[in-house]
Amino acid sequence: MAYGFEAKNDSGNIIINDTIENLHFFGKATRGSADSDYGDIPGYSGSNDTLDGRVVHTYTITCSGTPVAFIKPADYARWHAIIKQSVSGTTWTFQVMISGTSTSNPPEVYCFVNADDVPSSSETHGMQVFKSDGTTKTFDSRKQPLAITGGGTAVAPSDPTNTGGTPGTTTGHSWNYASNDHDFRSSSQYTAVSDSAANTSTAMFSCPSLAQAVYKRQMHGFKCSDHNWWKSGCQEHHSTAAWWVMYRSAFRLRSGNFDAGWTGYAAGYSFSSSYESGGWFGGGGGSYSTGSMPYTAKTINLQSNAFIIADSSRFD
Amino acid sequence: MAHGLNVYKADGSLGFSTADVTWQTLDQFTVAANASVSNTYNEASGFTIIAQRQLVNVPPNAQEDYVPNVTVNGTTVSVAPQSGLSSSQCIIHVLSQDT
Repeated sequence: MAYGFEAKNDSGNIIINDTIENLHFFGKATRGSADSDYGDIPGYSGSNDTLDGRVVHTYTITCSGTPVAFIKPADYARWHAIIKQSVSGTTWTFQVMISGTSTSNPPEVYCFVNADDVPSSSETHGMQVFKSDGTTKTFDSRKQPLAITGGGTAVAPSDPTNTGGTPGTTTGHSWNYASNDHDFRSSSQYTAVSDSAANTSTAMFSCPSLAQAVYKRQMHGFKCSDHNWWKSGCQEHHSTAAWWVMYRSAFRLRSGNFDAGWTGYAAGYSFSSSYESGGWFGGGGGSYSTGSMPYTAKTINLQSNAFIIADSSRFD
Repeated sequence: MAHGLNVYKADGSLGFSTADVTWQTLDQFTVAANASVSNTYNEASGFTIIAQRQLVNVPPNAQEDYVPNVTVNGTTVSVAPQSGLSSSQCIIHVLSQDT
């Protein structure tokens, strides 16, 4: 370089310069409402009814620039993910999904912005670095710069369910049969990425949730019986039972590992039963449904995603 | 310290130093639904570049929301819909690290 400023770390790599902006801690987002649901499949009771459950906490923060958000779990055993980020004016809203149904122990969301988006400070001491235009700030020691401790790339396994394989549609069940044989929970479905920075005390991570999936199990039942009145022929009885769960990719910090997995976001159950008209005694049927499957069963956006780990205690 | 740079907080505690590692921000932008973008960052020549994607305004239980693909080739970052699919609006954070 002919002029300007560079600071290199102990490995000889640039960590501050006058051409690329550093991220600085802006603050923690404010937590608002929480929505807890799906500890089981709505409207259904029977085998494999239990799900992992999920809580969606909503956070807001007002800042110029686009914040990079880190999740600091309060309960490291649970799965976490930012599933939505939106902005109105300069107020950003994050939806953070965590596994389980307890609304206690919500995570904290640490937000970082570019040096140039850091608000002015009344502190008169410190160091600022500007680009060659003399106005765009790349570094300001008065706001805590982001230092990272780990990171890499991660992708969840394609199958989000503890019962391996895609649950399909089967026929040949008895009429009105409705007993789910697929474990839709995700507790054992994750990819572990070794990272020495991962711990369960002060570590926090940034890794948006991209992957989604819908899994569905469907069973068709049938019975052929004599017509009641004239005792001959076949009066057809049909039934359909279906269970579905929608998933979002989620993440977990363990000692020495960053895990990419899944958490169920929504679920539903439907049942319908009908039979052919049979003279004086036939006809009719019934149906029941909870929720609406968002799209046909599939996994989408299953792509490797960059994650970053930092030590939250530096910013408290 | 024998050499290097220490940056202290107002309370006198160490805030940042040449013992640290960081990711710097090359760019942040929002890609509209179904749009393609390609940017080159010559200032990051020789650096590792990553791009984080965050879907915007996703109604998570109502529709298929496809994230756009991101490819990094040297100092060029390209964003485009997945082949044959409509992509949703997406925030892109382009980060660089001298390695």
